[in-house]
Amino acid sequence: MTNSVCVLGAGSTRYGKLNESIIEIALNAAKGAIDSAGITPKEIQAGYISNVFGVADKQVHMAPVLMSNLGIPNVPGLTIESACGSGSVMFREAYANVAAGFYDCLLALGVEKVTHTGTTQSTTLFSYCSDFFYEGGNGASFPGLFASIARAYLTTHKATEEDLAYVAVKNHDNGLLNPKAHIRKKITVEDVMNSPVVASPLKVFDCCPFSDGASAVILCTEEFAKRSPAAVQGRADITTIPSTVAAAKQAYKMAGLRPEDIDFAEVHDCFTIAEVIDVEDLGFFKKGTGAQAAREGATRRDGRIPINPSGGLKSKGHPIGATGIGQVVEVFEQFTGAAGDRTVKDAEIALTHNFGATGASAAVHIFQKV
Amino acid sequence: MKDESIQTQNKFIDAAIKGKILVNKCRNCGQLMLETVYYCPVCSKSDFELVEFDGVGTVVTHTIQAVAPEGFEDLDSYAWVVFSVDNTPIRASGFLPGIKVPADLPIGSKVKVTGYDKKHGLSLQKLP
Repeated sequence: MTNSVCVLGAGSTRYGKLNESIIEIALNAAKGAIDSAGITPKEIQAGYISNVFGVADKQVHMAPVLMSNLGIPNVPGLTIESACGSGSVMFREAYANVAAGFYDCLLALGVEKVTHTGTTQSTTLFSYCSDFFYEGGNGASFPGLFASIARAYLTTHKATEEDLAYVAVKNHDNGLLNPKAHIRKKITVEDVMNSPVVASPLKVFDCCPFSDGASAVILCTEEFAKRSPAAVQGRADITTIPSTVAAAKQAYKMAGLRPEDIDFAEVHDCFTIAEVIDVEDLGFFKKGTGAQAAREGATRRDGRIPINPSGGLKSKGHPIGATGIGQVVEVFEQFTGAAGDRTVKDAEIALTHNFGATGASAAVHIFQKV
Repeated sequence: MKDESIQTQNKFIDAAIKGKILVNKCRNCGQLMLETVYYCPVCSKSDFELVEFDGVGTVVTHTIQAVAPEGFEDLDSYAWVVFSVDNTPIRASGFLPGIKVPADLPIGSKVKVTGYDKKHGLSLQKLP
């Protein structure tokens, strides 16, 4: 028997190039979540923090420092790293501890600050998320890893570079409506196709940006909440991500739902090819048809299954330690009427999907509005 | 355990210098694995031998990057290549200098390992 777990409040900084220190960025998101939940820090029994490159801003041991800054120095805190999937992996652990009855109320917060290191250093840092001896050490950057996946996908399936561009155009359209998005700029398929190549066949507009930012939620038991607006449930082939398939299978089983029951999803679109593969691995579209779905508009906000109404990593941004929690914040805002013009009409069940590196880890969560 | 891992990586490098790919083979079930593992993912036994294969294979996918990671800035233009090693289910990756555009390296091209560069890792050459 496990407790129902509620998202009591959510907060997020803007994603982008931020001047504050990593701790200040985290505190801004934490304050937003605490205020949104209508609680005081003293009610928080633990802090779960996700972060990857704290060392780039000269700060590791993030959780205890953050707890002290929140005025609750003796409250336990731990930091979790799982590359770009850190936020969701951390959220899973936080969820499990509330569900198990170990805590009634905790802070789950993801934060990242990396833009100050510059493009070359950031590219190098991100390559450390690969299996470095066999991949990064031979000269693969992170865009390079996904570019190799894209080339394999385009070679295997009936899809074109232009199909991938539709993913970017759609996510930029959504991000334009998100005041906290990193890149709020309308683009066309032609803009994508004419943008400089980063790692062939991926171009600048196929790639998410390096972002700073933090997102936080307050998780609690249903009994603690009472006032809660949202509850939580639950490679032989180079063109699929097995960890996504496994995580999705587990999440659908826990929730007792199928892909067709999902009203919208926030998925891991670090590159346009990633979203194409995600929507197939999550069961929304048949293998090999994800690119076609983007071209035909099935993943737009008014499409069959809206994907990334926040703008996704591509437009909203990708502060890697915060990204997974940022997806949960989007669900919270969608369910509580705070998503403004990007609201997905009548949405009651949402899915978040976030993976680390090229999918060595992945987490899928399904949320139901209550 | 870490020392053992590093030793295996050094052996991989020694093999690459000879133009070979070093692979872990499970003595119980014959499963082949590129990475250093301590339990076989198929049979869970922990008894392996190192086996060398000719470093010749077929390009599965590749990319040419405009922004290279630190340490690779001195290479003019190269492809990061994933290739399937002939006569094995193993896929490995390496860098192939001199590739400027995707058309220079069609999928399915044959490549061979030419050595291991201390700075750049596993080096490859395109075969005619």
